[in-house]
Amino acid sequence: MTTLPARPAAPTYDTPESDNYLTHDKGFLSWILTLDHKRIGVMYTASVLLSFLVGGIFALLVRTELLTPGRTFIDADTYNHFFTLHGAVMVFLVIIPSIPAALGNFVLPVMLGAKDVAFPRLNLFSYHLWIAGAVCTVVSLVMGSFDTGWTFYTPYSTTTTAGGVIPVIVGVFILGFSSIFTGMNFIVTIHKLRPPGMTWFRMPLFLWALYSTALIQVLATPVLAITLALVAVERIANVGIFNPAMGGDPVLYQHFFWFYSHPAVYIMIVPAMGIISELIAVHSHRQIFGYRFIAFSSVAIAIFSFLVWGHHMFTSGQSSLMNTLFSAISFSVAIPSAVKVFNWICTLYKGSISLNTPMLYALAFLILFTIGGLTGLHLATLNTDVHLHDTYFVVAHFHYVMMGSALIAMVGGLHHWWPKMTGRMYNEKLGMIACTLVFIGFNVTFFTQFMLGSHGMPRRYYDYQPEFQVYHVISTIGSYIMAGGFLLTAGYLVQSLVSGRRAPANPWGGATLEWECASPPPYYNFHEAPKVGEPYDFSNLKWDERGEGYVTVKPAEAKA
Amino acid sequence: MMSKLIMLTLAQTADGPTPPTFWMPTGASAHASNVDSMMWWINLIMWAFLALNTVLTVYFVWKYRHKVGTKFRTDGPDHNGPLELAWTVGPLLICIVLFIFGFKGYLDVRTPPKESYDINVTAYKWGWQFKYPNGAQSDDLVIPAGKPVRLVMRASDVLHSCYIPAFRVKQDLVPGRYTYLWFQSDFPTGMDQPTDGHHLFCTEYCGTGHSNMNRRVYVLPQEQFDAWTTKQANWLDEIPEEELYWKAGPKLYARCVQCHSLDGTKGIGPSWKGIWSRVTGGEGSNGAFADGSTYSGLIGAGKQYATAEDYIRASIYNPGEHLVQGYGNVMPTFKGQINDKGIDALIGMMKKLDEFDPKTGAWLKTPPTASAK
Repeated sequence: MTTLPARPAAPTYDTPESDNYLTHDKGFLSWILTLDHKRIGVMYTASVLLSFLVGGIFALLVRTELLTPGRTFIDADTYNHFFTLHGAVMVFLVIIPSIPAALGNFVLPVMLGAKDVAFPRLNLFSYHLWIAGAVCTVVSLVMGSFDTGWTFYTPYSTTTTAGGVIPVIVGVFILGFSSIFTGMNFIVTIHKLRPPGMTWFRMPLFLWALYSTALIQVLATPVLAITLALVAVERIANVGIFNPAMGGDPVLYQHFFWFYSHPAVYIMIVPAMGIISELIAVHSHRQIFGYRFIAFSSVAIAIFSFLVWGHHMFTSGQSSLMNTLFSAISFSVAIPSAVKVFNWICTLYKGSISLNTPMLYALAFLILFTIGGLTGLHLATLNTDVHLHDTYFVVAHFHYVMMGSALIAMVGGLHHWWPKMTGRMYNEKLGMIACTLVFIGFNVTFFTQFMLGSHGMPRRYYDYQPEFQVYHVISTIGSYIMAGGFLLTAGYLVQSLVSGRRAPANPWGGATLEWECASPPPYYNFHEAPKVGEPYDFSNLKWDERGEGYVTVKPAEAKA
Repeated sequence: MMSKLIMLTLAQTADGPTPPTFWMPTGASAHASNVDSMMWWINLIMWAFLALNTVLTVYFVWKYRHKVGTKFRTDGPDHNGPLELAWTVGPLLICIVLFIFGFKGYLDVRTPPKESYDINVTAYKWGWQFKYPNGAQSDDLVIPAGKPVRLVMRASDVLHSCYIPAFRVKQDLVPGRYTYLWFQSDFPTGMDQPTDGHHLFCTEYCGTGHSNMNRRVYVLPQEQFDAWTTKQANWLDEIPEEELYWKAGPKLYARCVQCHSLDGTKGIGPSWKGIWSRVTGGEGSNGAFADGSTYSGLIGAGKQYATAEDYIRASIYNPGEHLVQGYGNVMPTFKGQINDKGIDALIGMMKKLDEFDPKTGAWLKTPPTASAK
């Protein structure tokens, strides 16, 4: 009988690692010039959360203004600036970088058992580009901000008198490169730095998702950069590209824009799906159901994402034939999405489910994504979309997918890896309460908006008909509940940094490699190269009463 | 068979518009019942899957809850080929059916009947202009009942979108192109009260006044509609010259009010307050333009505009030529929309602004009786 080589003992609460990536170097420069993917991930996370606060404040201002028809407390122009800023900040500064750049940066190399990403310097550069993009947005605010909507539709965007259009376009251009570099880095890292033994089908599903996302980032983002450059050229040099007054075509702009921005939706949701696969498998302590279907559906979604942009343009003046084709292809996205949801639910079946805060977020995702996905049917169907297009129904639909799914998954992932990133446990009870508040607040806010939209309330409206007020008031109350939930979350997360219990290496009982190194991980992640096993084989994990975490034991001991 | 079921679930009532439901507003066009039944079916699919997913999730989480410290279960299946194939093919079939029915409904929305009544529509920042075949114009849309109506639409500045929820139709208006929209409503609404009729919204974001581009759609029986268009085509001609400024002025000013106040409030464009003094060499005539000129430098014998009336007329027909300092080039031209008599009415109103309510533009005096004349 062969004995397995002994694994390094996981550190427990009474033997904290004194030398970890947080304590390895000190000082401001050691952070801002670091090449360590973990520190870059942490800086991204902090920056993204700060941007989320800013975007959230704009959202609350918008919701508050909509409490009454007509003026509540700001004028129409200010309102237009606020909803534009809410959208632009949330899309370009928060959701697109939130999972790949923030959590992905931290988790991906550790999951691979690697020391770092393939190109650490490029990784740091992409973070610096993100900062530069954020600074451009602030410059735009100072120069008069912008009121174009986050979509920058021409000819409004090339003719508006708002002073901050050019700076923000430059900002989004730069943010695009930040995103491209992160994507390139991840593709190369996953191809070249997988440890021996980790075949493609032994990769954690989060990595499959990040890989699919990276493909979209690299292939789609350049189109956005070119498009926005053309908008800038038209605005500055009066070259007629999109403005019909100068011989351009505004519908061409929409094609260009959605050719990026539809795939961008999947830059947001595919990594979120990856996180959910991890959360559900780890907290159910069970082999994920239908691994290959989930992995391939990520790739399928990434491919389909390039073929459906025209469904944003069913009423734009695009030909009926094009609309028909795009409607048909759009339905195809429903299939891999449905496959994933059913697989996740089946992973719960005969699992050993620990209802921790990250798991609660994953369950919230399951419900919210089901609603968000199924309301996509209303919008892919041609004749119902004609009625619902550009109404609050669309607003509700994409908030269910972008916020209720992508952002909820990000927050769930943050809770999942928080002990790993910070070495501290947060207050579980408060975590569950906050998650419940967010879930309730979210549905109160956005389910109401489905009804607003199907009753005919157009989006981006400062003023509205009195008959819509009751829905708007309910929606605004929901947004306050949600804000309460997020404030509570911020509170206990900060509190955990100060006085949280020290985190064990493996608090949830995960089987992927990041749970084998200490919390927080050492500077080089692993003292010795970890041994690659099945990512979802939980049979060797045992609860350790003393460390209040899971430890890996030999198969024989686990049976005892 | 499915279409029969749809007919059963939502039979279109022949005697009036469908009442508003939990999901949909009142429906008053031929398309409405089509769209509503489609919504009904998709909602059914949505609720069914949502219920299934929620019940299974909650049940599994409760049933397979784990007590910390106990052993993990290992008996869960890690895949099931037939099951996974089923939930790939099942949704695919549902999607194909939805696509086909949505497509059929869409073809109806996009294909106007040959014998349609055409109305020309121009959207501008921030209003609508509807032009009828006999030359009549209006700010609200008035259509004949029981007849297919086709809107031939264009935008004069940026993108707009014409949306009539009660008819379940929507189409963007694109500068530099013509787009079309058609519908038929069989149920007259009357147009005596402002609340009669249906909403018409702009649903493509177009700036400051986007949410104020809402207008009404009135449906009139054919005879009433004919009478209305005839009257509308000639309304200015029927007003005597001396009554023009107070009868036609406020009505025409309704198109200007979004940008030009009467009380001095700074809007998108300069306020009309004191305008006649500015253009006739009185107080404010040294006010500057973006190009450096002044009112008194532009207006007067031998200058670009011989008379103040010339200047006002030019400002309405060619607003971009001289911009008052501090205002952008946003006003569309009203050439072809307001004729010389209309210009006379507006100029008359400007001359006697103190006779008008500075907030609403309503005339404050009582109409002179025949004897006072």
